[in-house]
Amino acid sequence: MNTILIEILGAIATILLAFTVGMLYGGARRKVIARIQNRVGPPIYQNFIDVVKLYSKETSIHHGWIQHMGPVFAITASITSLMFVPILTSGNWFSNLNFSGDLIFLIYMMVFGSLGMALGAGQTGNPNSAIGVSRGLSQMVGYEIPFVMSMVALMTQFHTTSITGMIELQAQSESWMMFSNPFAFIAAIMAMLGMFHYAPFDIVHAPAEVASGPVSEFGGKYLGMMMTSGSIFAFVKLTLFVDVFMGGASNLIELVIKTFALYMIPVLYGVINPRYRTEQAITYFWKWPAFFGLIGLVWAAFY
Amino acid sequence: MVISPVHYIALPLMAAFLIPLFGKLNKNLVRLIPGLVLLYLSYISVILMTQVITKDTTIIEIIAGWSPPWGINLVFSPFTGFLVSLFSFLGFIIWIYTYNFKPEVDYAQTQKFYVLFMMLITGAIGVVLTGDIFNLFVFLEITAISAYSLTAFYRERDGAEAAFKYLLIGSFASFLILLAILILYTQVGTLNMAEIAQRVPDMNPYMKGVILILFFVGFGIEAEMFPLNGWVPDVYTQAPGPIGAIFAGIVVKAGVYALIRIIFTLFDVVEVLQLLVVMGLITMAVAEVIAMRQGRLKRMLAYSSIGQMGLVLVAFGIGTHEAVFAAIFLMFNHAIIKGMLFLSATYLVYHSKEKNISDLDGIGKLMPFTAFLFALGSLAIVGLPPFAGFWSKLYILMAAADARLIAVIAIILVVSVIEIVYYFRVLHRIYFKERISTVEIKIPSFNAKFAMLILALVIVIIGVYPDLISGLIERAATDLLDKQHYIQSVLSVGRN
Amino acid sequence: MNSLIIILILVFGGAIISFVLNKFLPILLNSFVVLIMLAVSYFFFSIDAAVQLNFEIGGFHLQWGFTSAGYLFGIIVVVLGFLTLLYSTAYMNGKDNLGYFYMNFLFSIGAMLGILMSRDLISLFFFWEIMTWSSYLIVIYSGKDVDRRGLKYMIFSAIGAYSMLMAIVIVYSFIGSFLLEDIFTSIYAIGFGYQLAIAILLMIGFGVKTAIMPVHVWAPEAYAGSPMSFTALFSGALSKMGVFGFALVLFNLVSTQNWLINEVVAWLAAITAVLATFYAVIQTDAKKLLAYSSIAQLGYIIIGLASGTYLGVMAGLFLAVLHAVFKATLFMAVGAVERQVGTTDMTKVTGLIRRMPLTFIATLISIITLAGIPPLGGFVGKWMLYEALITSDHYYLVIMVFLSSTAAFLYSYRILFGMFLGQEEPEYANVKEAPLAMLIPMLVLSAISVFAGTFPGFIIEPIQKAMLVLGFENRIPNIEWYQLSVLFNSWGDKVVLQNIMISVMGVFLVGLAFITIKGYKNQRYVSTKDISSSGEVIQPEDNMTFQMDFYKPFERAIWPLLKRKIDDYYTDFGKGLEALFDFIRRFYSGNGQLYAIYVMAFLVLLLIAGTKYFGF
Repeated sequence: MNTILIEILGAIATILLAFTVGMLYGGARRKVIARIQNRVGPPIYQNFIDVVKLYSKETSIHHGWIQHMGPVFAITASITSLMFVPILTSGNWFSNLNFSGDLIFLIYMMVFGSLGMALGAGQTGNPNSAIGVSRGLSQMVGYEIPFVMSMVALMTQFHTTSITGMIELQAQSESWMMFSNPFAFIAAIMAMLGMFHYAPFDIVHAPAEVASGPVSEFGGKYLGMMMTSGSIFAFVKLTLFVDVFMGGASNLIELVIKTFALYMIPVLYGVINPRYRTEQAITYFWKWPAFFGLIGLVWAAFY
Repeated sequence: MVISPVHYIALPLMAAFLIPLFGKLNKNLVRLIPGLVLLYLSYISVILMTQVITKDTTIIEIIAGWSPPWGINLVFSPFTGFLVSLFSFLGFIIWIYTYNFKPEVDYAQTQKFYVLFMMLITGAIGVVLTGDIFNLFVFLEITAISAYSLTAFYRERDGAEAAFKYLLIGSFASFLILLAILILYTQVGTLNMAEIAQRVPDMNPYMKGVILILFFVGFGIEAEMFPLNGWVPDVYTQAPGPIGAIFAGIVVKAGVYALIRIIFTLFDVVEVLQLLVVMGLITMAVAEVIAMRQGRLKRMLAYSSIGQMGLVLVAFGIGTHEAVFAAIFLMFNHAIIKGMLFLSATYLVYHSKEKNISDLDGIGKLMPFTAFLFALGSLAIVGLPPFAGFWSKLYILMAAADARLIAVIAIILVVSVIEIVYYFRVLHRIYFKERISTVEIKIPSFNAKFAMLILALVIVIIGVYPDLISGLIERAATDLLDKQHYIQSVLSVGRN
Repeated sequence: MNSLIIILILVFGGAIISFVLNKFLPILLNSFVVLIMLAVSYFFFSIDAAVQLNFEIGGFHLQWGFTSAGYLFGIIVVVLGFLTLLYSTAYMNGKDNLGYFYMNFLFSIGAMLGILMSRDLISLFFFWEIMTWSSYLIVIYSGKDVDRRGLKYMIFSAIGAYSMLMAIVIVYSFIGSFLLEDIFTSIYAIGFGYQLAIAILLMIGFGVKTAIMPVHVWAPEAYAGSPMSFTALFSGALSKMGVFGFALVLFNLVSTQNWLINEVVAWLAAITAVLATFYAVIQTDAKKLLAYSSIAQLGYIIIGLASGTYLGVMAGLFLAVLHAVFKATLFMAVGAVERQVGTTDMTKVTGLIRRMPLTFIATLISIITLAGIPPLGGFVGKWMLYEALITSDHYYLVIMVFLSSTAAFLYSYRILFGMFLGQEEPEYANVKEAPLAMLIPMLVLSAISVFAGTFPGFIIEPIQKAMLVLGFENRIPNIEWYQLSVLFNSWGDKVVLQNIMISVMGVFLVGLAFITIKGYKNQRYVSTKDISSSGEVIQPEDNMTFQMDFYKPFERAIWPLLKRKIDDYYTDFGKGLEALFDFIRRFYSGNGQLYAIYVMAFLVLLLIAGTKYFGF
């Protein structure tokens, strides 16, 4: 009984860590964008205030039980993915269910959340949500391809599909995957741009076009849960990339530094770019990013 | 009365001549007598076949006391007996069918119909039973003339035209065969088939070849080989339905029999079998391909018939024991199934002027019994299990595989796909289209249904349990290939 | 009496009796067919593994008996057969020609069982043909455009069947026996060229039923045009007959050195999967969408089998079982919608979730399984497939499967959104939930999908036994099926399914509790017309539905791939053939003198040139 209690406490700690870090990064992003646009921008802890505000609002309407469950699906996906991603490379802190799942499982779990959200958005009947969902899913076909190519290249090169295994192997060979297979890394970074849904791939949420897309009908506690889930998810993605490409992090400071560095790539790239149309986005991913992915695969095969 | 093969010839012939006389007594006798004759013939078939199979003999019947090789003899062997039994049985079934067919036809016509019917049966059976080659020619002529007349039975322009074409080409056939017989006689000095078989190997190969060519083309015309079968589509389309069944089931089989007898028993030229395979394949391919483009039901069945006969020729051409077995099985199946198809098709397009397939739209609901039988026949002839056609197709393919003739297998199967297409198209129209044609339908009479039902039962039973008949066919195949046995059986009678 | 014979008599006899019964006592028809199927299930599940039947017919030695592989697929056939029949009793209510329908339905089931119990090629072919024409008769049962649909199905089935026949007779001529065991042992003695030809011919035959490129063109229309209760069986069980055949051929007839065939087959299946998925995405009719989806899923199964590794074959067979389960449910759900609403056009039907909640749940579970998302059963199969492909160095195939799977999310969502979510329209306000006889099969099958997600052991155990027959050694220790909830690959990586399920359920329930309890009292339900629209007030008659051109951007992105369908090539080929045939037909011009000239010409030709055939 004791171990289970400790496990659950550990899980909660991880969640809090992910939440905090994710929120802070979101705030940092807003600050960075503001500064680039020559504004002051909101304080870094602004997201926390937003979440608290959202949760304290009264949500008076709903459109049905699936809409109700949509954000729950999203947060389930985020937290479950969090449980299976190694936060630190060693030690028992934050280790959760690291050894129970592998990369393929993680890739699929990440989709679970978006589909759940899509279902929730569907029941609201808002055409804007539906448009957003259709764009989102279409775009996903786009960026998944280079992403998967690079992941498969990694799995082939490392000869393992478990993330903990990859971290170990990087430690053993004392070089980061980023450098062992740079093409896979480049392809994955380009895919990451799509995964974060920042410009130029933000047509899913296009605020001025489709009233924020899938989240148009969600307010109050729903939106709060979505923000929570979103921040945790961002943390998950970043940590995953760090683990797989940059050898993981042995302590929290190193983790924060590496993930923040990685996070700045989509943020900075996004702030200076306009928006792609959906079909442009899809075909964009199938050109250069896929090309790099292929090279990465070939590289991995001959390594 | 001792049962002997002579009855096969004597009775129908007598009946043919006596029908007009009996007709003066009572009009109904005209319709009845052929049935009695055929029933009796079927009965003696059973007896004689049992005798031949159990005692493993061939019955040789001498006519007029002149023993072979000077006189004419009849040969009732497992092979010929099988064919003759088939003819009798099929003839009887078709008689049942025709009993009330077109009752509006007047008496004089009916009388002529049955006279010619009896002559046709006589001729076909005679071709198969005889052991003398000139006799074979005579019987072939009897068959031919009856056939010409029956084609034109309805005395309309189209029928007359078809009959004329048949007459034209058929005369050609007769001419070639007669010529061949004459030249053969000058070379070997005998007309008895057994003795010819004995003497042929010593003939001048050049003469042998020419005679064989003449026979090949002449009998090829009767066997519906390409390119000699131009007469077939018109004839089968214009002749009355049951007559079409007789042509497909009996007459053409006699023609094929004659051709096969010449090649397998009389002559010893093995190379001609290859030509038989090639011509058979071409016949089959061309015919089935054209059948797909037909818009008229009986014409489509005619081409399908040609195609099946092509397949039979291919099977005989392969020449191995299994191939011959398959060929005979196919002949049997084709006679029964095609017979049933023609019989049911006749009622399906009874009142239609053009006999178009489009008149069949939606008829499945109005004539469920007949349509069902037609569907059964279609499935069977294409070779689908669990019907009889499946086994014969399988045996032919196996025989071809054993002979390593892969191309032959491929062609047969491709053609089978085409067959499926056009038969299923018809079935589809029958059952799944709306009826827009205003042509009246004719419900078949009880005896017609009964006749078709019997054929259908045969198809299904043989399909599920082919062993019932495969034993007979096995013996027939062995018999055909055993030339020495034939020669000995016939000539030993003469020696005594 | 031998239980094999009992089963066949029950099914085939039952078929004929139901046809007759419909003419005299139609009321009893429904109960009768269900009872027959129950009886068959009873006999099937109580069968002793060693039961065999040997007999001679037509000079051939036939042998019947269920191998473990046959038994595995037999379970699918029997269970699915029973559930779809139960479903039919409600679905076909009020349609005509029911006797004909049930007769052919039972014939198909009987033929499938016959195929699975055949241990010799003649019986296999015999039952295969019966299955073909009985399913054909149902495919053309109703609907419009029946000729094209039926004709295509028949032609391709015929091509497939006759390829098989050709292979069978060739094999027989070399080996002298039709028995499968004799063939498997002696096949390597035949020359390599013949081996290859036999394998290819058999694969064409089985490939038609599995709808692999390029012989897949009949499938979309046939699946979509048949009554949905039959399509559930058609796509769920009948297509697996092709998979069964593939398994036999790929592992027993193609020698292991011949990796080329495996690669070619795997790539054909991969291309089929990707293209079929793309076509599914752009469909507007739910039935067509599911039809294309079926083709794609079958592609995955074949890739699994063709990979040749232990895990791959297990993945393929697992996906086959699961596909039967979830695809049948989906077709049943679409059929339920069709029956309750009248149409399955997704641009017309929307917002049924509140009217048909149980159907929705069944669809949801099946879609999640289809998409392969944890924690349901589909993930297990997909995981095994990916692992198998990666560990055996088939990287590019992995990419193709991933591409297809990701695009599958699109149509998965589409079918849920198209029929159940979205705006609620007033004309569907009175739609009722599907009747019980239709709900029970759907829910039972959904439960199986859920269960298989955490405890795949109960499916994997029979699969293992089947794989022994196919020549694979058992690599999973002999433990009880409920203990089997960890998946391994050959590199030692694992996935612990129980933990996944615990994690997912735990978080889900906590989250759900939290979000429901908070502010519970003050929340009310509003209709879908009450949505945020930037200030405008939406009137009841405003049309806010978004169902048309749902994936237009995606369609624009992939239009080069969709430009030319293989179907078009076949149609052109067919037209060319017809023109050729017409040309040949002119040979018979009707002119009697011309015919006479043919005779003369032939005679002369033979006299001059045919001498070698006549011995001089």
